[in-house]
Amino acid sequence: MKVLVLTTRVPFIHGGAEELRDHLVANLIRHGVDAEAMSIPFTWNPAERLLDEMWVARSIHVTNADRVIALKFPAYLVPHHNKVLWVLHQYRQAYDLWDAGQSNIPDTPRGLEIRQMITGADDRAFAEAQAVYAGSPVSQQRLRRYNGLEVPVLPAPLNDPELFTGGPMDGYIFAGGRVGNAKRQKLLVRALQHAPGVRLVIAGPPESPGEADELRRLAAELGVESRVTLDLRFLTRPELATLVNNATAGVYIPFDEDSVGYVTMEAFQAGKPVITTTDSGGVLEIVKHEETGLVAEPTPEALGAAFRALSIPAKAASLGKAAQQLLEARELTWPATIARLLS
Amino acid sequence: MRIGLVSSAVPLIRGGGRFIVDWLAAELRRRGHEVEVIFIPTADDPETLLVQMAALQAMEFGDAFDRVITFRPPAHVIRHPNKVCWFIHHVRVFYDLWDTRYRPVPDNAHFRALRATLMEADTAALKEARLLFSNSQVVADRVDRYNGLKAEVLYPPVFEPERFRSGGYGEEIVSVCRLEHHKRQHLLIEALSMTRTPVRLRLCGASFGDDYVASLQETARRLDLEDRVVIDARWIEEEEKVAALETALASAYAPLDEDSYGYPTLEAAHARRCTITVSDSGGVPEFVQDGVNGVVVAPEPEALAEAFDRLYADRALAARLGAAAHDRIGALGVDWDTVVSRLLA
Repeated sequence: MKVLVLTTRVPFIHGGAEELRDHLVANLIRHGVDAEAMSIPFTWNPAERLLDEMWVARSIHVTNADRVIALKFPAYLVPHHNKVLWVLHQYRQAYDLWDAGQSNIPDTPRGLEIRQMITGADDRAFAEAQAVYAGSPVSQQRLRRYNGLEVPVLPAPLNDPELFTGGPMDGYIFAGGRVGNAKRQKLLVRALQHAPGVRLVIAGPPESPGEADELRRLAAELGVESRVTLDLRFLTRPELATLVNNATAGVYIPFDEDSVGYVTMEAFQAGKPVITTTDSGGVLEIVKHEETGLVAEPTPEALGAAFRALSIPAKAASLGKAAQQLLEARELTWPATIARLLS
Repeated sequence: MRIGLVSSAVPLIRGGGRFIVDWLAAELRRRGHEVEVIFIPTADDPETLLVQMAALQAMEFGDAFDRVITFRPPAHVIRHPNKVCWFIHHVRVFYDLWDTRYRPVPDNAHFRALRATLMEADTAALKEARLLFSNSQVVADRVDRYNGLKAEVLYPPVFEPERFRSGGYGEEIVSVCRLEHHKRQHLLIEALSMTRTPVRLRLCGASFGDDYVASLQETARRLDLEDRVVIDARWIEEEEKVAALETALASAYAPLDEDSYGYPTLEAAHARRCTITVSDSGGVPEFVQDGVNGVVVAPEPEALAEAFDRLYADRALAARLGAAAHDRIGALGVDWDTVVSRLLA
């Protein structure tokens, strides 16, 4: 079977979407199909340009592929008889960003026409596809609200599960991911006050340079500095995996996250339960209280109690095992994702 | 410099048209440039050719690139204020192959009009280029003849040529090349049946279709050559290629009317092997000079057989021609420093 992955690109930008594209191709090949990705250029200014972009996409002819997996607007408009859409990006400035008044499309009669052309082209692309999947719950909601389309979510799986092998519990709770206000690491430090003897390791890239000092000052004020380790930088994947593998449990308490979060999947893959909070959004889809982790109120007291509970190795191990099994059962793995995209 | 390399490609088909782009990207990055490779999916379909070209022409690259280099058609039609075309071939069925059996469409008013439109669009697009290069004299001659433009010949080097090794001159004529009818490996097998020495033949390369491979195997069987010819019909890894050429007697490359001298010729020369080719192979004689750094004979099995025997019987000749083939690379300026400095001029 021959599969072409189609997406769009902005030259010299390499971010999460490009990583996902590359891992998708690598995993298709691992699955035994002949696959490659092609990315067509995309520019969107001025707004009239969007019409040309859509026409260009509709005029591209794809041969020698049994299936096309298309990821982004306007690449998913490219015609093909056996096309599956894994929608990572619509042109948001024609949808929710338009509603929010943050669009490059002018609020004029002509602007409304352009917007209509985009939503119409999207509707047609979704109708002609063999299947449509949303890349995240937020994309799913957007498709439901604006395109009247009910599609399943197919989250991006962990790209390097082989690194998260699990390991001995070194008795600390690990807080990975970006460090900043939205991720609420200060609340974690405060929680330590209510969890005597528990150690916390916070590691990840800080959103601002002052982040480390603030956390350190707070820990000192509260008298918990000897139990907090701060490693605020961009860690390599093996470095990160070691910290996850040797933790007793993970903690991840973003405010109203879109998705289950890579941090959660990394911990689960390593067989570690995760502590989260009742307002963490998408994380709650897989962190189930007393099943795969603990769900606490977003207060220092409640989190401190959860820290204490998961510092008991036997308890952490049993929830961690269930967490690992849930990843498989929910098909949050590349083999399962590839099977869906090829079905 | 921020450089965009733009080419067209049929999805999931790898070949010379891709390598020239990927290799140039690596060489440019090695020299400190920022490079993006963009392959646009295209279909080899005469009916939609003009629409596909119009789409390419309408693509917008913004100000991402200081320079854009194009390769396989119809990528040369893209618009960029600083466009350089390294033109590797026309859509040949509408050019030099129009009056041959390779023309896939009827010679009627509709397709004659399409042909004229294509030629006009090609000429206009090539004229827009700040610099125009071809990959061979054959292609430069066609650009001159059909588009009335001058293209500078810029020979494409192979990737990391220092990988090639040169050992003793053995008993085997080697061909590392896709197994396709127009590459005419059947001619080499037929030639082998007419040799008087125990010279051997090794054909290695992947094929688009199984039919040609089957017919080669059948020919070898029919001519009772199975113990003297190896048909290795699969993708050949680079190191395998290096090893096959290292101890070969010579390389044989007898395609029909190729645009350029071909990577097999150049790879053999890096391994100090001469190439045996035929007079109607198109661009190959641009590199191979008969009796100087290789052998050029009539496209007949008898003539090829005589060449095989001559080299088998005279290993000193094989070594001398092989060394001269290696010198030929330098004489033609087939190296990445030359390529990069010309493309960025």
